[in-house]
Amino acid sequence: MTDRITAPAAGQAGEGFLSLKGLTKSYGGFAAVDNLDLEVPKGELVAFLGPSGCGKTTSLRMIAGLVPATSGRIVVGGQDLTEVPTHRRDMGLVFQSYALFPHMSVARNVAFGLEMRKVGKDEIAQRVKEAIALVHLSGKEEHRPSQLSGGQQQRVALARALVVRPSILLLDEPLSNLDAKLRDEMRNEIRDIQKRLGITAIFVTHDQVEALTMCDKVVVMNQGRLEQVGTPVDLYETPKTAFVAGFVGRSNRLKATARDGVAEFAGESFAAQAGLSGPVEIMVRPHRVVLSAAGADATAGDHRVSGIVARTIFAGDILQYDVDVAGQIVSVELATRGGETVLQPGAAVTLSWRRQDVFVYGTAA
Amino acid sequence: MSAAAAIAPPAPVSEARRSGLALVVLLIAPIALINALGFLVPVLNLARMSFYEVEPTGAMREVYTLATWLTVFKDTFYAELILNSITVSLGITLLTLVCSYPIALYLHRSSGTWRTILLVLVISPLLTSAVVRTYGWIAILSDSGLVNNALSAIGIAPLRLMFNKTGVVIGLTEILMPYMILALLAGFGRLDPRIEEAASTLGAPPFTIFRRIILPLTLPGIALGCLLCFVLAVSSFITPKLLGGGRVFLLATEIYDQAIVTLNWPLAATLSILVLVIFGGALVLYTRALRAIM
Ligand SMILES: Nc1ncnc2c1ncn2[C@@H]1O[C@H](COP(=O)(O)OP(=O)(O)OP(=O)(O)O)[C@@H](O)[C@H]1O
Ligand SMILES: [Mg+2]
Repeated sequence: MTDRITAPAAGQAGEGFLSLKGLTKSYGGFAAVDNLDLEVPKGELVAFLGPSGCGKTTSLRMIAGLVPATSGRIVVGGQDLTEVPTHRRDMGLVFQSYALFPHMSVARNVAFGLEMRKVGKDEIAQRVKEAIALVHLSGKEEHRPSQLSGGQQQRVALARALVVRPSILLLDEPLSNLDAKLRDEMRNEIRDIQKRLGITAIFVTHDQVEALTMCDKVVVMNQGRLEQVGTPVDLYETPKTAFVAGFVGRSNRLKATARDGVAEFAGESFAAQAGLSGPVEIMVRPHRVVLSAAGADATAGDHRVSGIVARTIFAGDILQYDVDVAGQIVSVELATRGGETVLQPGAAVTLSWRRQDVFVYGTAA
Repeated sequence: MSAAAAIAPPAPVSEARRSGLALVVLLIAPIALINALGFLVPVLNLARMSFYEVEPTGAMREVYTLATWLTVFKDTFYAELILNSITVSLGITLLTLVCSYPIALYLHRSSGTWRTILLVLVISPLLTSAVVRTYGWIAILSDSGLVNNALSAIGIAPLRLMFNKTGVVIGLTEILMPYMILALLAGFGRLDPRIEEAASTLGAPPFTIFRRIILPLTLPGIALGCLLCFVLAVSSFITPKLLGGGRVFLLATEIYDQAIVTLNWPLAATLSILVLVIFGGALVLYTRALRAIM
């Protein structure tokens, strides 16, 4: 057991505690994970965010050593683990499908990892009890997994991975089966434990709210490729690609054409990447658009377009207008304060927004 | 059916239960009838026959006596016969399990065409009669068979592989393996690669995964396979007869001899009832084991 990485060495400057270098997994000719480069500093909680089938689970499985990487390296604390078998990697993995041991009680399930680490009997009993209490399952110690609900099983899986205090914790959608309240609670618990024990963790989710609210950094993946890594604010305010802008938060995506770095839409010019020509998408978030009645003096905003209200949706806290601008729909969200006049379809309006709220991305023809 | 259920007012619970029970009885009735006529009646007949008197000439008279049963209980030959049958069958069962388990595990994990091919290979021996397969083993194990020819070619003294327990054990093990493999496969349903992966992420090396995860999860299959093979081993007589050459005394061969050769039907009947008792014991053990495992 001495070869287990127990006291992780501090990562060198500029390097994360966990580094993935060109990690690739191909099935036949299909790259499930394509050349993934990532540095995760010690103690950080990183979200893997992306649509179904984008390679999140495959990445985790490679990090845990459950599937061999086609190419690339996995380095933890300066030690290359690419060829190290799973059971010596000291990683906790919460499976998307829980993967509890069906023939063992809840307590035995949770104790398993500690037994493998040759922890003393009394300490095992103590830590198992704590871990079970942590996931609100006290009293269910002697139940078999088959006697638990889906959400309870998920929490056992969580307790089983947390109790060993692994150097790296990999969570594959660990909260997908919980109701909203429990989900919130578990999010906080995971965050607390992870911070308190300084565990480096990867949290897979396709829930962007979860990724933004919980994690230090978010990795957005698409079709096996890394689209962007950054803090939640980075991703939201400066999405690097059209995919990120569309996936993180809501966006209007307006089709336009650019010539020499300038995109034209509804008579307005938008600055695109220098020299960019061809079809582009102009993106702006619905709640960053300012709406005013046509003819009124629209103050805020560097860009101004006019349109006609096509649809009005009142959702209580939010008032949404779908505005037809030059044949494309721009959604506008306003926080309601009470007392405002609700515009009806057909009303002529002016929309404006600031330069920093708009992104222009070239789209492959 | 669902439409009818939706229209009809909900039946009182007791009535629903009664009609459910009626359905169960109806469904079980045919097999119960066939079993009663084809199994229970002959067995009861056999039980009655075991109390008939035998004349020294071998003729059976319909006069009830305990003589046969008393002989079986007093004569140590029969006690040894029973014990021998049980131990040899247990040995065969164990050997069959050891030989079949890795094959079943491999089969369980393979997939696609490869799995189909393997499965056909496993089942194909069942398409040949045990007699033919036993003769195959004679060709391999006899004094001038494949094994001994090979041994003498490299200058090793020939081994006695036939007309003894060794031959019977080898032959029956091979003959029972398909049954064992199929029973094991049927009982491997709880195995799941994700569970094994979970164990390895928690720090369990491969052998520990086998001991703590795979083995416990496959115990139901093991119990089923062992029950099946034990019962088949105790009741098989063609292979023991041919490979044992009359020198290996087992219950089944003895029953055959008494019924066909010596024509002492009450004795054959008595021994047959004893075999049934052994099977009953095996079944009880099996249910106990299963309850302990699950
Ligand atoms: N064993 C395999 N053989 C072939 N293709 C595979 C295999 N495992 C995964 N894939 C493919 O790799 C891609 C990524 O799968 P992965 O399970 O990593 O997705 P994911 O991001 O976890 O999706 P989800 O959010 O639905 O769980 C998918 O297109 C999947 O079909
Ligand atoms: Mg997944």
